[in-house]
Amino acid sequence: MLFPTATFAIFFMVVLPLSWLLMPRGERWRAFIIAASFVFYAGWDWRFSILLAFSILWNQVFALAIHARRDARARKLLLTAALTGNLALLGYFKYYDFFITSTNNLFASVGIDVPLEARSIILPVGISFFTFMAISYVVDVYRGDFAPSGLGKFAAYLSFFPHLVAGPIVRPGELIPQLDSPRDPRYVDTSRAFFLIGTGLFMKVVIANYLASNIVDEVFGAPNQHSSLEVLVGIYAYAVQIYADFFGYTSIAIGLALLLGFRFPQNFDAPYTAVSIQDFWRRWHMTLSRWLRDYLYIPLGGNRGSSLFTYRNLMLTMLIGGLWHGAGWTFVAWGAIHGSALVGERWWSERPGYVEPPSTAWRRAWQRFVTFQIVCFAWIFFRSDSFSDAWEVIVRLFTAWSEPSELVTGGVLLAIAVGIGSQYLPRRLPLVLMARFSRLPVPAQALVLSVALLATHAMGPEGVAPFIYFQF
Amino acid sequence: MATRRRHPRRRVDEDGRRLHSAGSAIVVALLALLAGALLNPPGLHKSAEIQPQGWKRDVALAVTEPLTSVSDALFLDRPRRGLKAVLGRSEDDEIDTGIAIPDRPPETTPIAPPSREKFTPTRPLRIWVAGDSLVVVPGQSILRAVGERRAIEPIGDVDGRIASGLERPDVFNWFEHVSEVMTKEKPRAVVLMFGGNDDHAFMTGLPEGREIGAFGRASWTAEYRRRVAGVMDTVTRKGAYLVWIGLPITNDPEQTIRFDTINAVVQSQAAKRPGRVSYLDTYFFFAGDDGGYAQYVENDSGRLVKMRADDGVHFERAAGDLIARKVLAHLNQRFDLTSWKRGRS
Repeated sequence: MLFPTATFAIFFMVVLPLSWLLMPRGERWRAFIIAASFVFYAGWDWRFSILLAFSILWNQVFALAIHARRDARARKLLLTAALTGNLALLGYFKYYDFFITSTNNLFASVGIDVPLEARSIILPVGISFFTFMAISYVVDVYRGDFAPSGLGKFAAYLSFFPHLVAGPIVRPGELIPQLDSPRDPRYVDTSRAFFLIGTGLFMKVVIANYLASNIVDEVFGAPNQHSSLEVLVGIYAYAVQIYADFFGYTSIAIGLALLLGFRFPQNFDAPYTAVSIQDFWRRWHMTLSRWLRDYLYIPLGGNRGSSLFTYRNLMLTMLIGGLWHGAGWTFVAWGAIHGSALVGERWWSERPGYVEPPSTAWRRAWQRFVTFQIVCFAWIFFRSDSFSDAWEVIVRLFTAWSEPSELVTGGVLLAIAVGIGSQYLPRRLPLVLMARFSRLPVPAQALVLSVALLATHAMGPEGVAPFIYFQF
Repeated sequence: MATRRRHPRRRVDEDGRRLHSAGSAIVVALLALLAGALLNPPGLHKSAEIQPQGWKRDVALAVTEPLTSVSDALFLDRPRRGLKAVLGRSEDDEIDTGIAIPDRPPETTPIAPPSREKFTPTRPLRIWVAGDSLVVVPGQSILRAVGERRAIEPIGDVDGRIASGLERPDVFNWFEHVSEVMTKEKPRAVVLMFGGNDDHAFMTGLPEGREIGAFGRASWTAEYRRRVAGVMDTVTRKGAYLVWIGLPITNDPEQTIRFDTINAVVQSQAAKRPGRVSYLDTYFFFAGDDGGYAQYVENDSGRLVKMRADDGVHFERAAGDLIARKVLAHLNQRFDLTSWKRGRS
């Protein structure tokens, strides 16, 4: 069930009033929202919901067991078992075939035939997201940061449909306390919710889909059919497409949760205005960044050691972060580029005698430009199916400047400008717009939203493309 | 006596936004969706019309048809039509089910080419690749493969239309489109792939009063054959050579059987047009050792590669490359695409 469809609109308009009606009755509300979330998830494939149910039961059992034990060794063993189960689930469904083909091909390259067979396993949508949320739950319980909640609350936390298939990755401490007490139906931040849903729909349906169908798919599908300018603009267009697609999804998810009375953490903060790769990761997919920091980078030792030790941890975190996105070496390469850039920045700023130059407007502009180019270079590997495809894109970037560039149209350039320019708007602007919207009478609010729906529906290409991050 | 407050006190958050009640949120959302539906009926109606046959389509049509009438009567659809016109996409909401195909039966005698026709960078072979979503990946592989051959000039990018086929001109009218491209662009080589969305009994664009039976029955086959033959004739009567890519084995055995039915129709029609149409059978390219469906297959260099997408139907890049090589082999039988290079050396 995709957000920008009539089916989802009907589903949500049934769930929204029922959720508020049942809200004062905690247990009944939880049963209802879990059922609604499973219906939402089963819309892709009912078998996926068995996996989700298994994940809920597995992690709740281990969280309770960890919490009940005082013995540190037993707690650690239980945590290891819980994590093993989660990673085995993720590993089987997401990485099994990747492992088999990589192993077979590695041995085949030295003439050894390995009798391992790939199994054509279907990747359940959202498994990476709910597995990471489940891991954060058992780890937080293990660390003593969080006492296990009841099964109903944990099930509602893990399966809550607005975040289920593509995040944001919400921490247990952020959502489960909100499930403890009924939300107040008198004070809902409706203007922010509608603003987020409206901008999310526009970014996905108009910007992301337009760029995908008008330049990105064509350039990455057959780069040698396109001029260097088309390839260059195609890479920038992909940078905007993936931002608009994922920002759009999470904005809609945060807005839907707000209408239901729940607050999710922010997931993007104008990432293409970043002045360094470190800054980029504070702004891009923020809930994944902090998950990787708190559950991977810091447990690996973080920066509590020599510089080399820190560099190792940074590289490992980014390589695993790359692999989290997809079972392919191109995703590892994407992580390696970001990891190398992070290591490079750290090394540069930690050189003996290095003094940070004063931050001027020109310097910031230059830093933003360089950071954006590195990010776009990494996107080439993220978007390409193989290294040879990525290499083809890179080579074409330098070898066909004299060819005509029919795909570089005013519409494509405008969509790119909107996607990047929207990140440079004054931060006050959306706040002012939301405040003004919130003071409109109900019919006027509905009229504004219906006109926005009209424009989005009319301007978007025909059909609904799935969100990019669903495949992760 | 203290008066009882009927409404909750208004509350404003830290950014100056006025908070509203949940009831207000529900009313605004409902009104916005209703008003949005009244402003967008042409688009909604088309979305309903092109859905697969079934109760969802029936319900959607039952809702959108009166909405369209109301919206039209109240001029509420004018803003959408105006916006579409400004965007240069006025035809987006139109549904054209007319099937324009040549009337005459195909000639059974082959048109013998003088020899393998020669092309050069100054007189390149214009090639057009089109079809449903299945053609996209192989099509991109074909374009990549011909990218360095200066004697071949692709007409645009791969013309792949999602969810389309020969059964549903209301979704996308290939009969009109093929005719238009053949007239305007004059390709000499055409690569088509259809049928991935045609494995059911629901056809639009049928002649008045005509009904067809279940998928694969005689009346269905006759009508589908007419459409396949029509597309083949539209292409070849403009002097182009057509390579038609057959449907592959899929991870659903029942779907594979249905695809076999479609392939049989296409293959028989191609056989009636020797020298003009060539059929490329893809079935065994993607079968495993046991003859059944396999997602991972060894490529030419013996590496185990993922050939099929997770949906069990569409292709991965490696499969596209394999099909592209076979398509180019078929084209090479008809056209000489390398003689200009040999002549120069």
